[in-house]
Amino acid sequence: MLKIILQRLLILPVLLLVFSVVVFWLVQAPPGDFLTSYVATLSSSGSSIDDAQVAALRQQYGLDQPVYLQYLHWMEGLFKGDLGLSLEYQLPNVELIGERLVLTIILALFSFFLTWAIAIPAGIYSATHQNSLLDYAFTVLNYFGVAVPNFMLALVLMWIAYDRLGLNVTGLFSPKFMNSSWSMARVGDMLQHIWLPVIILGIGGTARLTRIMRANLIDELNKPYVVAARAKGLSEWRLILKYPVRLALNPLVSTIGWYLPQLFSGSLIVATVMSLPNIGPLLLRALIQQDMYLAGVILLIYCGLTVVGTLISDILLAWLDPRIRMESA
Amino acid sequence: MNPSRTRTLLTIAAAWILVLSTVLSACAPKATPVPVAPTEPAISVPVLLPTTTLAPVVPVAPAAPKYNEAPILADMVKAGTLPPVEERLPKKPVVVPVTESIGQYGGVWRRGFLGPSDYNGYVRIVADALVRFSPDGTKVEPKYVESVTPSADFKTWTIKMLEGAKWSDGSPFTADDIMFWYKDVLLNKDLTASIPAWMKNADGSTVLVSKVDDYTVTWTYAAANTTFLLELANKDNGDKAYPVFLPAAYMKQFHATYADKAKLDQMVTDAKFKTWAELFASKKNQAENPARPGMAAWIPITAVSSQVLILKRNPYYVGVDEAGNQLPYIDEIDMIFYADAASLNLAAIAGTFDEQERQINLMNYPVFKANEQKGGYKVITWPAYGGADADISFNQTYVKDADLGKLMQTKDFRVAMSYAINRSKIQETAFLGLGEPRQPVPSPMSLYYPGDEVAKKYTEYSMDKANQLLDGIGLDKKNADGIRLYPNSNKPVNIEISVVNAFGPWPDVAQEVAADWKAVGINALVQVRERSLHFQMRASNDLQTEIWNQDTAGFPFTGAPKMDPRTTLASGITVWPLYNTWYNTGGKQGQEPSDVAKQIVSLVNQAKSAAPDQQIAIAKQLFGIWVDNCFEIGTIGLTPMDQGVVIVSNKMHNVPTTLAKDWPLRTPGNARTEQFYMTP
Repeated sequence: MLKIILQRLLILPVLLLVFSVVVFWLVQAPPGDFLTSYVATLSSSGSSIDDAQVAALRQQYGLDQPVYLQYLHWMEGLFKGDLGLSLEYQLPNVELIGERLVLTIILALFSFFLTWAIAIPAGIYSATHQNSLLDYAFTVLNYFGVAVPNFMLALVLMWIAYDRLGLNVTGLFSPKFMNSSWSMARVGDMLQHIWLPVIILGIGGTARLTRIMRANLIDELNKPYVVAARAKGLSEWRLILKYPVRLALNPLVSTIGWYLPQLFSGSLIVATVMSLPNIGPLLLRALIQQDMYLAGVILLIYCGLTVVGTLISDILLAWLDPRIRMESA
Repeated sequence: MNPSRTRTLLTIAAAWILVLSTVLSACAPKATPVPVAPTEPAISVPVLLPTTTLAPVVPVAPAAPKYNEAPILADMVKAGTLPPVEERLPKKPVVVPVTESIGQYGGVWRRGFLGPSDYNGYVRIVADALVRFSPDGTKVEPKYVESVTPSADFKTWTIKMLEGAKWSDGSPFTADDIMFWYKDVLLNKDLTASIPAWMKNADGSTVLVSKVDDYTVTWTYAAANTTFLLELANKDNGDKAYPVFLPAAYMKQFHATYADKAKLDQMVTDAKFKTWAELFASKKNQAENPARPGMAAWIPITAVSSQVLILKRNPYYVGVDEAGNQLPYIDEIDMIFYADAASLNLAAIAGTFDEQERQINLMNYPVFKANEQKGGYKVITWPAYGGADADISFNQTYVKDADLGKLMQTKDFRVAMSYAINRSKIQETAFLGLGEPRQPVPSPMSLYYPGDEVAKKYTEYSMDKANQLLDGIGLDKKNADGIRLYPNSNKPVNIEISVVNAFGPWPDVAQEVAADWKAVGINALVQVRERSLHFQMRASNDLQTEIWNQDTAGFPFTGAPKMDPRTTLASGITVWPLYNTWYNTGGKQGQEPSDVAKQIVSLVNQAKSAAPDQQIAIAKQLFGIWVDNCFEIGTIGLTPMDQGVVIVSNKMHNVPTTLAKDWPLRTPGNARTEQFYMTP
């Protein structure tokens, strides 16, 4: 077990190095560079910057160098623990990503727990009460949750909140707490705002997980060991929770690997329409403005999360299922 | 004042040449009647109009010997943390006229913005320059100075500063702050890679700026310069460029000439910059570095990268209203960050903002109207100051397809294409019926308006005229699909319209135009492109025609006029990319400009030093040539498309209902934002 974890940890830097090349290439792929976008933004307001200034800026930002040199400079900084400077914000990337990352994780964890808290009981109920009225109700809701894109849901709910309740539900904080540092009052204010984004982000995942849970459990319920246990007089709930549910959870746990990064990147559009101060809108802006070092660092963080997520789900699986432990040992 | 002398001077004085003075001076030159714009109050306006004398100003005793201040400042004075208002104001404060009524102090003005790339949203609110444009855009008025006066030959411009004016930290604002910009920023190679055009003489030498005394600075040009005030009004922090005045005492700690090297290097490293010049450039932006003292009515106290960009009142602001109340009235501006424009618009519909025009989408106009009552606001519109809000330009130097290149150079073809467009349909479908069909010339508000005949030339919808013209240039054969064929090669005429989905309903306009052109036998293909790609193709001379807008038409001689072939392509439109290269490389590369292009350049040059009335004549001539040649066809103009749909909450007052709107005017800065006030 320890050996597997160590192996995985050792391969992490190599993977990240490969990812960094891909990420940098992807960020560079669109035509133009940061200055092209910058000049385009300026021209939208009728203002201008002359060619000499653009050339000077290009040199200053090192955009006139060949791509591989830009990459090497970037990597050199990363190895020294320097995430570089955002061209657009003119601020160190660490500062920009810092608090947004915290909020992103909070948001992700909230919706993760909401998803599991709803999906597993609902899935178990649906499976054990197959074709009951409530099962159908869950099914309809699930299909709805899977089919409606979450940003669409966000827009509709925001409109309803405004139109019916007179609430303006953008952001995670009231204006007076937006810039302040963390305090109990600020946490309280955040909790008042966070429920809607959490529901919106959680709904799609909940629907999917409920379906998986239901299907897995139905498979298990008809197996002979369940019948045997029941014949031995084990109480129904104990039986279901102890054996088939544990097995049915396996595929769910293995989804954590992609679920973690998906919660980060999946919130991109929702966060943008809802003006959530998390990392999504920052990445979107960075990509649109071709602020390549900022976009590169964020994408690299996403890649790192995928790797870590996969590792966590492997460990969890091994812990949960003795069969996997045995195989690897 | 001797009347005959006044008359002599009058012959050289006119539009744009304005003596700037404080209220004290406004009653001085009684000899000449001063026309007052409708939005202006009858009392002392600190601007002199085109026909005003250039005589020196006679100081008069202040109208309000006692000044009032905001309650929050009065409390600070009482607590001893701030000097009294009389000591904070300059000896002769700048009197700012109010739009409707004398206001009351207090309130937080809530706005929305889209983060650092929306920096100019902050810039336009504060209009942080020595002088600024009047609400109607035809005059320039003092903001942080007493007066700006030209010499009789317009070669020397003298800026008289306000004695006793102070930066927001209480340190004196003097000639040294302008000289610091000149000597240590403009003339410093690390900070200024190339001297901007407005600071260069015809021979390429740098314009001389010198300090006369602590409160007087002169600009000396080699030849007459009559666009000085226009330039000066735009030397704020726009696009994060350097303003012509910087808090020297504060900024020196970041300047290699003055700072301790080890300390400076440490600051550069800590901020992840590579050179001190980058650090300096960033530190000079108040919205990136709230610690930097400023002169504007409100000073940022948080950075533009925060969730709320908060601007707090500047206790040392040099402006007062006519009743002697120190401005601004409003205590604080909160600019709330929105990750995208759609959620900002939704918030605006919900009545979240007290005044907002930036990032408001014209297409939401009906929704805003419908929610006026519920959201507790009014919607007003400020139409564009000129030009067209969607126009099609023809590449005159297109080389990839010789037939098409030649066709686009044919005037009759371009005129036919203009006649072929059904503008009223575009107006209804794409612009909600707002604006008017017109060519890209300034608005009738502007002194440069060339008249209806020019503005409406070739804009009538006539397929007959279009067909006649096209037949006349040899495109009289058609293929089976009804597309005209080139006379020599018998190839069908295909033309691409490149369009970017930004700023306006341009893709819709493009589709309408393409359908109209097809109806007269020209096969137009619409290509909606991502903005960066479109810009790259513009620079590499790959665009055939494009849709863009012609704003800044009211400013053909300063900034980046779209007609001037020397204007960098990124700020211009695709009319003649290769001529631009030719001018940029001193004739080494590109294509030698056509006679018309050369004529336009020479007219612009001439206008820069022409006496003001001649300047107006030249402008009109220039627009006459431009429209007649149809290099750029206007469709609909004077709509509130870009930042002209204004949401004003019922609590907000003194927001003008008519206002000239354009980037050089720094709208809404030219509405004199410091006299906006709020009621609970």
